[in-house]
Amino acid sequence: MLSRRVKVINPLGLHARAAASLVRLAGTFQSDIKLVRTDNRVVADAKSILSVLTLAAAKGTELEVKASGDDKKEAIQRIEEIFRKGFGEI
Amino acid sequence: MSELKKIGGVIVSHGQVASELVAAAETVVGAQSHLTAVSIGWHDDVEMARNEIERAIRQVSQGNGVLLLTDMFGGTPTNISAMFIKDNEVEIVTGVNLPMVIKLALQNKQTTLSEMAKDVEEQGKQSIYRTGKLLEPQKPR
Repeated sequence: MLSRRVKVINPLGLHARAAASLVRLAGTFQSDIKLVRTDNRVVADAKSILSVLTLAAAKGTELEVKASGDDKKEAIQRIEEIFRKGFGEI
Repeated sequence: MSELKKIGGVIVSHGQVASELVAAAETVVGAQSHLTAVSIGWHDDVEMARNEIERAIRQVSQGNGVLLLTDMFGGTPTNISAMFIKDNEVEIVTGVNLPMVIKLALQNKQTTLSEMAKDVEEQGKQSIYRTGKLLEPQKPR
């Protein structure tokens, strides 16, 4: 299992469309990918939009991305990148 | 592998709520050919509304059943929709909200109409939060 901390930096947070693009990306990997809020430990499945939305991750929220599977390394990298770029919204 | 046969979905409401729910869901998860909306005008006659729902069911059916999501139990859209209930063919879940439409939009495995109806009902209930303190620590600092 690989794990990395990311931060939500786009102004709207992990809203529906941002979550949808994250889920689309996560779905391209075979690995099991989870997102965990570092403050309250709420866990979401990165491949389910309705699950990701339950994180209610506003701007500034810190999350831990956890991936396990053959392509976990690439998955973590690409997911970190999409957070760093603020889902193309900044 | 045989092609996935999705459960069709018709959102039925008073006024334009149904079409706006479908539009919102499609903004989030992309266009969905197995979903459509029927908006029943406040003054439409029952026969006309019935025909529209019937046409919508035919339009979205992939042969694996159609789920009707209506706005309010006891309301006219639900009552007219109820005329179509048929085992393994047409089921209704009332009190539609956006997460329910998204749940129905995203189908990636073969399922049955009754399982889908149950999942959508659960999703709808789980998606209601009294947010209060839940969102408090995230207020802009």
